[in-house]
Amino acid sequence: MNAVETDNLRKVFEIKKGLLGRDSKTVVAVEAISLTVPAGQSVAFIGPNGAGKSTTIKMLTGILKPSSGTASVLGLDPWKQRSKLVRQIGAVFGQRSQLWLHLPPSDSFDLLAEIYGIPKNDYRKRKALLVERFDLGRFLSTPVRKLSLGERMRAEIAASLLHRPQLLLLDEPTIGVDVIARQNLRDLVCQWNREEGVTVFLTSHDTGDIESVADRVVVINHGRIVLDDSLSSVSENTLIEGKPAGLEEIIAHLFSGATNLSMQNCISPS
Amino acid sequence: MKNSIRQIWAVAKVAARSNLAYIGEVASRTFFLAVILFIFLKLWQATYRESASSVLGGLTLKQMLWYLTVTEAIYMSAPRLAQQIDEDVRSGALAVRLLKPISYPLYCLSSALGERIVRFLANFATGAAVTFCLVGPFDCSPAAPLMLLVTVLLAFVLDGLGHLIIGLWAFWLEDTSGLLLIYTRLSMILGGMLIPMELFPDWLKSFVLFLPFPYLVWGPAHLFVHSNWLQFAQLLGCQFLYILLLLAIVKVIYGWALERISAHGG
Repeated sequence: MNAVETDNLRKVFEIKKGLLGRDSKTVVAVEAISLTVPAGQSVAFIGPNGAGKSTTIKMLTGILKPSSGTASVLGLDPWKQRSKLVRQIGAVFGQRSQLWLHLPPSDSFDLLAEIYGIPKNDYRKRKALLVERFDLGRFLSTPVRKLSLGERMRAEIAASLLHRPQLLLLDEPTIGVDVIARQNLRDLVCQWNREEGVTVFLTSHDTGDIESVADRVVVINHGRIVLDDSLSSVSENTLIEGKPAGLEEIIAHLFSGATNLSMQNCISPS
Repeated sequence: MKNSIRQIWAVAKVAARSNLAYIGEVASRTFFLAVILFIFLKLWQATYRESASSVLGGLTLKQMLWYLTVTEAIYMSAPRLAQQIDEDVRSGALAVRLLKPISYPLYCLSSALGERIVRFLANFATGAAVTFCLVGPFDCSPAAPLMLLVTVLLAFVLDGLGHLIIGLWAFWLEDTSGLLLIYTRLSMILGGMLIPMELFPDWLKSFVLFLPFPYLVWGPAHLFVHSNWLQFAQLLGCQFLYILLLLAIVKVIYGWALERISAHGG
């Protein structure tokens, strides 16, 4: 089964101008995204700022309706079955918290259990498992505002897994986190991906995140996919101007605005 | 329906607990309330003395002070609901909220209710203590606290919906502080926070009764000092009616707001 399937997904925004908004211009945020992600895969979905990543994710989660094209996420139509879909999605945004700042993570977990309607027994077992695996015991009763960023992000990821999501969206999950805590977070995500088969959809500007977590790299620019390959293939077989290049160098090259076609002149995936 | 009630209760409970963390803010509000009530006492003492009357608008000085204790406790417990929606829309945090299986307006409203109940209880306890020291105990009917509790709760739902409608305009205006200022001033003046509606000119009073503002502040406070089962039933009817009306407005505006995000971007 595929976790995500899109066919020529396109989104055009109408931007109103002027005081009364009578003038308007159209902006193509996503040109044409066709993507198939098998269940259980870890995909790094990356691109420069304004490339269309957020718009694509918002379409996949049913927040935005595409201007044209189709999408199916976990077998559901994101726009028609949004309320059903969000019950099967977990999301972690590095710069936005789903935890209550003045309360311990435990209280936010209890609230999420109610919001997702998790039966009490299931919740107790699930919480105990996550607390153990994410090593949250020490600070489960400490207000979130007093936690280090690494601890907070561990609690954030654990919170997003409480309801056993089939798809985990990670948006810059390690931003601002120190090296050790960052590696710890990456290991935990990989572990969960292996053990529960949760599909991971990662957006990050940190190549360390991508190399540690992803099986596959999808790079978009100007609303189009400019690279879609397995991580191993990208890392091992890509040459820039005839020389082997690291992931960071390849991504920077793609971000610089080269299109897929012209890429073949400077980057030669063999 | 059962699921939504459970969600409302859970969010309100967490919001109430979270609000207790702002103990400094709660304390400063209640201190300010004590000062306000003292000033009101002096102002109304002078007014009663000048009018050479012991009863104004059907209220004695003591009843007036207890009336103002309730109106101030209600008014000063107002949550930052509209501002929160402003922030969610501007910062993009809205996308995170929309990924949860709870309606965004319902989440905001439940959170505001939890927050407001804590603030109201703290305000009312302090206000009652100050007023007790200033004018002595109030001999209210045994039903008065119950009537107050029920009507204040509905007033909070009604006011929450008002704040929600203002906040949802952030999808178009980005900053709703101007609208919020107009709304809060209208509810302060027309809601009877400073002066009971009995002292309004007749034409104004009959006009204001068609607006939702009196049912936010004046209604519960008046019922507390003049408990009456018929008025209680009338107030409940008006509050329910306005809650249904504002709920319908929230539903329509929220639908437009989601359409707008989809058409013009978040």
